[in-house]
Amino acid sequence: MPKLTLEELRKKREEARKSIYLRAGDFKGKVIVHMGTCGIAAGAREIISTFLDEVEKTGAKDIMVTTSGCAGLCSREPMATVEVLNGPPVKYGELTPEKTRRIFKEHIMGGRPVVECALGVGSELGG
Amino acid sequence: MAARRIELMLCTGTGCVAGGSFRIKTALEGEVARNGLQNEVSVVSTGCNGFCGQGPLMVVEPEGTFYGWLRSEDISFLVEEHFLKGRPVPRLMFVPRETKEEVPLLRDIPFFKKQTLVVLRNKGLIDAEKIDDYIARDGYAAIEKVLTSMSPEEVIEEITRSGLRGRGGAGFPTGVKWRICRNEAKMPKYVICNCDEGDPGAYMDRSVFESDPHSVVEGLTIAAYAIGASRGYIYVRSEYPLAIKRMQIALEQAREYGLLGKNILDFGFSFDLEIREGSGAFVCGEETSLIHSIEGKSPEPRQRPPFPAQAGIWACPTVINNVETLANIPVILNRGADWFSKIGTETSKGTKIFSLVGKINNTGLIEVPMGIKLREIIYEIGDGIPGNRRFKAVQTGGPSGGCIPASLLDLPIDYESLIQAGSMMGSGGMIVMDEDTCMVDVSKFYLQFTNDESCGKCTTCRDGSDALLEVLTRITHGEGREGDIEFLEELGTAIKDASMCGLGTTLPNPVLSTLKYFRDEYEAHIKQKKCPAVACRGIISSPCQYMCPLHTDVPAYVTLIAKGQFKEALDLVRMTNPLPIICGRVCMAHCAIKCRSREAGDAIAIKELKRFLTDWELSAGELPEITPFPRRYEEKVAIIGSGPAGLTAGYYLAQRGYEVTVFERFPVAGGMLALAIPDYRLPKKLLQLEIDGIRQAGVNIKTNSPIENIDALLHEGFKAVLIAVGAHKNRKLEIPGEEADGVIDPITLLRKVNLREDVPPLGERVGIIGGGNTAIDAARTALRLGSKEVTIFYRRTRSEMPAIPEEIEAGLEEGVKIEFLVAPTKVISEHGRLKGIEFVRTKLGEPDASGRKRPIRIEGSEFVVELDSLLPAVSQDTEIPDGFGVEVSKGNAVVVSTESLMTNRVGVFACGDAVTLPTDVTTAMAEARLAADLIHKYLRGEDLKREYKLIRPSVRVEPLEMTEDIAETRRPRMPRVLPEGARTNFDEVELGYTAEMAMKEARRCLRCDWDLQRMREKVREQEIVVER
Repeated sequence: MPKLTLEELRKKREEARKSIYLRAGDFKGKVIVHMGTCGIAAGAREIISTFLDEVEKTGAKDIMVTTSGCAGLCSREPMATVEVLNGPPVKYGELTPEKTRRIFKEHIMGGRPVVECALGVGSELGG
Repeated sequence: MAARRIELMLCTGTGCVAGGSFRIKTALEGEVARNGLQNEVSVVSTGCNGFCGQGPLMVVEPEGTFYGWLRSEDISFLVEEHFLKGRPVPRLMFVPRETKEEVPLLRDIPFFKKQTLVVLRNKGLIDAEKIDDYIARDGYAAIEKVLTSMSPEEVIEEITRSGLRGRGGAGFPTGVKWRICRNEAKMPKYVICNCDEGDPGAYMDRSVFESDPHSVVEGLTIAAYAIGASRGYIYVRSEYPLAIKRMQIALEQAREYGLLGKNILDFGFSFDLEIREGSGAFVCGEETSLIHSIEGKSPEPRQRPPFPAQAGIWACPTVINNVETLANIPVILNRGADWFSKIGTETSKGTKIFSLVGKINNTGLIEVPMGIKLREIIYEIGDGIPGNRRFKAVQTGGPSGGCIPASLLDLPIDYESLIQAGSMMGSGGMIVMDEDTCMVDVSKFYLQFTNDESCGKCTTCRDGSDALLEVLTRITHGEGREGDIEFLEELGTAIKDASMCGLGTTLPNPVLSTLKYFRDEYEAHIKQKKCPAVACRGIISSPCQYMCPLHTDVPAYVTLIAKGQFKEALDLVRMTNPLPIICGRVCMAHCAIKCRSREAGDAIAIKELKRFLTDWELSAGELPEITPFPRRYEEKVAIIGSGPAGLTAGYYLAQRGYEVTVFERFPVAGGMLALAIPDYRLPKKLLQLEIDGIRQAGVNIKTNSPIENIDALLHEGFKAVLIAVGAHKNRKLEIPGEEADGVIDPITLLRKVNLREDVPPLGERVGIIGGGNTAIDAARTALRLGSKEVTIFYRRTRSEMPAIPEEIEAGLEEGVKIEFLVAPTKVISEHGRLKGIEFVRTKLGEPDASGRKRPIRIEGSEFVVELDSLLPAVSQDTEIPDGFGVEVSKGNAVVVSTESLMTNRVGVFACGDAVTLPTDVTTAMAEARLAADLIHKYLRGEDLKREYKLIRPSVRVEPLEMTEDIAETRRPRMPRVLPEGARTNFDEVELGYTAEMAMKEARRCLRCDWDLQRMREKVREQEIVVER
């Protein structure tokens, strides 16, 4: 590893910052994939993999993909809740990989919820 | 391929490593792979997270879930539950002591919320062995800024303007130090990082090395640039292997990137560092000793001036800074001096890292702004004292500092305020102490340390600390002398004045500081040979014998019970206690309060064991023959009052050989034992038996003989009089309306019940105000008299109730209700007859003089309870007839000299509740025994002064072997009459242990006295050998 010049150090800082973005806490979008045993049985693992694949492909460094337990609406699984900055959380159900990719492109990257796939808008507490 | 979505920030600071975090890391990586999550989940080894008491710990990013107290066994479940199935695991989360509800997210945990992270900005967020992680979080941006756009003078200006002061302890302004060095002409110059962190309990520097070593490297590089140095040393104590390793890796990585070495970033500035390890000398924390150590010389300080900034290592100008100081440098340059100086106080800018350890619930490292109040640190961040014990003091500044007592809890912490309080900032150790800490022992502990670490150069430090330690050791062994305190103060001040380095000038601080705030503890040790905190092993043979007011040989008689030698055991008890039947039933068991068995299980059931002995004696028909004590002297003594105090004093005076007459106003003898304590606790037959024993020993007891006038007694020929009338005048509630019919004095009620007199009907609904034994006695009696709803109203909570816990328990079982946190405001009556009480709800505030939390009324929360009778049981005063002619004080308590127990009338003494107002049976008995001794001295014309002796076992009883199954036994539950039956009559409720239960319980005794006994025996054996 040759000794760094100033520009190289700055560039390295940019790259390094991106690689630890999960710890930085500035997210513009958040995806919660509902798991639990029922979720996994319904195919939630494939849904989360699809979301992660999309994150990887687009190189996005400000999208949090996380999980929670069963959301309670087991008949509509696999389910995911998507929230973008300044927008309400939107619950999606009966997800497939295709729907997932569409939601990623239109809602998470584009900011427009995909109404046909949505189960409801707002947090679970009805707010 | 799935992108990474979870990073497990696993703490690998030394503390967590010792707890097994490397094993946990292996387990995590294994389980993650087993679940096919290796692309999504990665494990990052970070440095110290700070919440060390919860380690091994980790934080799940990006959610921020905090998991603590991890074990390898937990990992498989954790990975599957949380990372695969998405369900976080509550049982591994942090649970605050009070609410008992998990707090899943780190950002919501109070320990972290109140912190301001400047030095520890990267904690838990970077892998300490990856330079790229540091760079990602603005690492080496400051050196960039400095090299590209600031001259050395500008750097010094910025650091000076920030107000940064040395964090090693002295608090010298960093910018000023750098300027002094810069202004020196001599070259070369050096920078040194002081990581010799020697204070016991301090580990913030180690934490910075293990978590964020590059912050120090960057700081050193900037310092070197500012003063014009090209070489530097990092001096780190060899006891920090992990810190050294991480720093070595950091240096190598920095050199690889060209951030250290020749021509950094191509700007023509060259600087490199080498590590030097210390070898276990506390004095090397002092800068000149440290420098000598690097130079290969003996670690001793030298005179200053010249200061290292002028002439330091190799006689060259040297800036030597503490780790924390250096870690602040990059942040100050990145964010600006103005930003930094907004944090903190006028004179102390920025933050400080404290290691919060000792008797505190949340242990760990915290970084807080200067000026934060001590109270916030102890109670909000630290979550208070374990076991709800009382906070006593905080030691700051380690062995160089002093203690800050509870009265200064609102002190804002900064350099100046701590010095004014008699302590200092030091490196930031904050050792919390509670009511069980002896402050004399604390100062001895610190003196032992500094005395050992003294380099020996200065007479004052070397010999002075020897002398201080010798005196402190004597004091903690009950061998203190008049004048010792003055000697400590004088010598301490001299050592401060005349020592050459900080070790010497500060070593007297713990002594002087504890003397300032806890002088009474020193005085108790010296004058009375007592350790109020029940800690000093040189004074406390065993907590039980020490705490017992009569100093009964508890460990010895308990072991005799375990061995089946019941007669010997009871004989031993009777050597210090003439009323064992009574005490075995109603003593409040002072002995058990500090029993060491309670730390890991239950206190030994000492009182119950004593009761067993007396039951056994009765059932075995082995009652001892009692013959009257022989008369030795002519004088006769009068005792007014036949309660426990009067009976005990009578016994001991008769034992001495005096004619004693006890005058009792009421038809039966026994005082409160006969007239207040109900039968179901102390059967009258047994009480009578014991009182008869006192009579048989030669004490005349005259009942129905009230005394109104002491002159009359003296006329009759009594040469000394002892007032032992107790305290049974019920105190008023001081609320409007309490004169109403139906407000009944519980003392009078209990007396009438005990004397089988007619009692006024209490009605269905009875209310009792108070939380002491009288309240419980009144409540359980009311049930037995037929009242259906008996409620005790108490203004604090259960843990503050002074009543014996077993009594409270029994009352609740029998159906007594207790309402907590309520205080009466007025009596509501109709036609002069009680209808009900208005109460207001209270909440607990800060502790009052008694040490219990003060109840604070909640405005607007008043409510009414309808009652048929009200019994105010809020303590009692005494009643002293004017004819006694003695001085009384508050509550009518008789005033006596504490050394002689004599009143203002010569030859008239007083003891027991009549002097102290209500305490308890054995306390009164002990005072009475002392009074008897003093009366004897008075009558014989001897020096009228009490003697203080060390409390030691009087017999040698070898312990039985402690086995594991015995150690794990719980205390047996006292067999008792079932509550439904018990509450219908006044028969005794507790039935006593069987011999089997007693012997088994007695075997649990840890014999706290035995190791010291053996040690003393060995010392004596050696002395005998030497003499020969």
